[in-house]
Amino acid sequence: MNATEFNFLASLPSIAPEVGLTIMAMVVLFLDLYLPESQRRNIAYVAGAGLALLAITPLIPGWAPPADGNLLFWGGMVRHDVLSQIFKVMILLAGAITCFMSIDVKDIGRKGEFYLIIIISTLGACLLSAASDLIMVFLALETMTIPLYILATFKRDDSKSAESGMKYFLFGSFASAIMLFGLSLLYGFTGQTNLYLIAEYITSSQFIPNAIPVLGAMVLIVVGFGFKISAAPFHFWTPDVYEGAPTPVTAFVSVASKAASFALLVRFFIAVFPSALVIGDQHLQDFWVQLMAVLAVVSMVVGNVVALSQRNIKRLLAYSSIAQAGYTLIGVAAIQAQTLEGQTQAVASVGFYMFMYTFTNLLAFAVIILFTEATGSETIKDLAGLNRRSPWLALMLTIALLSLAGIPPAAGFFGKFFLFNAAVQANLTWLAIVGVLNSIVALYYYLVVIKVMYVDRSPDEDKPIPMSISYVWVLGVTALVVIVLGTVGAQPIFDWAMRSAGSLFS
Amino acid sequence: MQLLNEWAFIGVFFAIAWVFPLLPIAGSWFLRPHKPNAIKQQTYECGVETVGDTWVQFKVQYYIYALVFLVFDVEMVFLFPWAVAYKQLDWFAFGAGFLFIFLLADALIYAWRKNALEWI
Repeated sequence: MNATEFNFLASLPSIAPEVGLTIMAMVVLFLDLYLPESQRRNIAYVAGAGLALLAITPLIPGWAPPADGNLLFWGGMVRHDVLSQIFKVMILLAGAITCFMSIDVKDIGRKGEFYLIIIISTLGACLLSAASDLIMVFLALETMTIPLYILATFKRDDSKSAESGMKYFLFGSFASAIMLFGLSLLYGFTGQTNLYLIAEYITSSQFIPNAIPVLGAMVLIVVGFGFKISAAPFHFWTPDVYEGAPTPVTAFVSVASKAASFALLVRFFIAVFPSALVIGDQHLQDFWVQLMAVLAVVSMVVGNVVALSQRNIKRLLAYSSIAQAGYTLIGVAAIQAQTLEGQTQAVASVGFYMFMYTFTNLLAFAVIILFTEATGSETIKDLAGLNRRSPWLALMLTIALLSLAGIPPAAGFFGKFFLFNAAVQANLTWLAIVGVLNSIVALYYYLVVIKVMYVDRSPDEDKPIPMSISYVWVLGVTALVVIVLGTVGAQPIFDWAMRSAGSLFS
Repeated sequence: MQLLNEWAFIGVFFAIAWVFPLLPIAGSWFLRPHKPNAIKQQTYECGVETVGDTWVQFKVQYYIYALVFLVFDVEMVFLFPWAVAYKQLDWFAFGAGFLFIFLLADALIYAWRKNALEWI
């Protein structure tokens, strides 16, 4: 961080989406206050279209990260680099799609507050993906999660929704406290709050070389991250929250908060504990990389094995999301690669996986929203005969599940391919093999759902599931993105992810 | 060792923090006469005997009132240093303060329009 003079206008592009989100939050607030009951559907359109428009702002050429390499803005609070760019785009699109698929949901679709809180949570997630200061990390984390606690309880009359919000709040604040303790220890050892200055201080001669306390702080921070990305063994909140929360909220929690947390995870560990960092004769990177590998294995095994016995589709996707966090952690563990090329590839595979996972999961949840709004059921058995009821819906859910399972031509195939490839390049072949074995286990429970939709019969087959135009768009766009990412779009997006990864190491 | 000496202050403060309240409590325990009777051992709540069950449900309006109050309570904490340093601030900091007030005013309008300030 250089002591360059503060230039307001030059600093603005680094938080352009956040400024837009703040303005949008106010617009939605006033729409909620002054729109008559008959026009309340428009709030969702305004919020969704606004978020989708803001997703373009990080891509405006004039607002791209500066070429002179001075990427820290606002006193080192945020880092304006390609990593924040790619994650902001995916988070904003996730927010937009969530708005569009909440329109017809009972008790939610016409409430302005719902969209307001989604926007504020998106704001926190965007800041989180760019945060480069301990204070900003915690502030953004709370700006993202506190609205999520509220959203989980949004169906006030539903006891399950209240339960899920309460559990989310208790687990979440506990994890935040543990993480904050870790962050404060890190500050205590170094006297620095900027992520990039912490590593600098640790390597300087002022620091008393003792690795044990720093490792303690690292473990506490890993616990906090583990909770946010729902990695086992910090996953206990996930199934209950996913099941109890209103389905659009589940969709948003499963993609936006996870993507933002992964963005921060790779940024944080690469910045604070880089491979060059040695305390005494201990390479700190070896420790956190091994922690990530262990978390990855535990998450994949727990997620996939427990998912096998689920009867509720939302619970199934909750355990599946735990397993997906495990796959993604393979990419984080692969940062131990010896070459810079390998490290960049590892981070890029995480970015790409989150990008494709965002759209895949939103597609799956959009179908589930339509299905539960029409039938009131969330059990897998009731999906029987969906192919005869609404063939398009069945096809969409099939695409999403195949993508989650990692079967071409859906995007999940390339997502897993890049992750496992990065692991092999980093001499973590055993981890890649565990990943492949887990994918085979996962294939079973995804295929069971597809079998129920296409083979099983039900007496309701002559009742098609109604859907409004907004849902047609959501399903069409997300399904198209999933297919494109699995075919021609994989290379350009992976190149973008490579550039974003490269920006972390410069 | 230098580091340890610096941190030792906190240990000293910690010990003093314990002694400080314990000393008067212990002192009064030794000095005071000990003669309990029925009237003295009654439940004491603001000088009045409690009526009915103490586990009553509060009106939810209390919480909304408290929340709205808290917003402006915290606003004061943030605005006070801003107002004190007012003369040395540049235009950016000046605008930031007003932006902060503006956002809070937004929230107040919302609460007002939603009838949160009305006592039903």
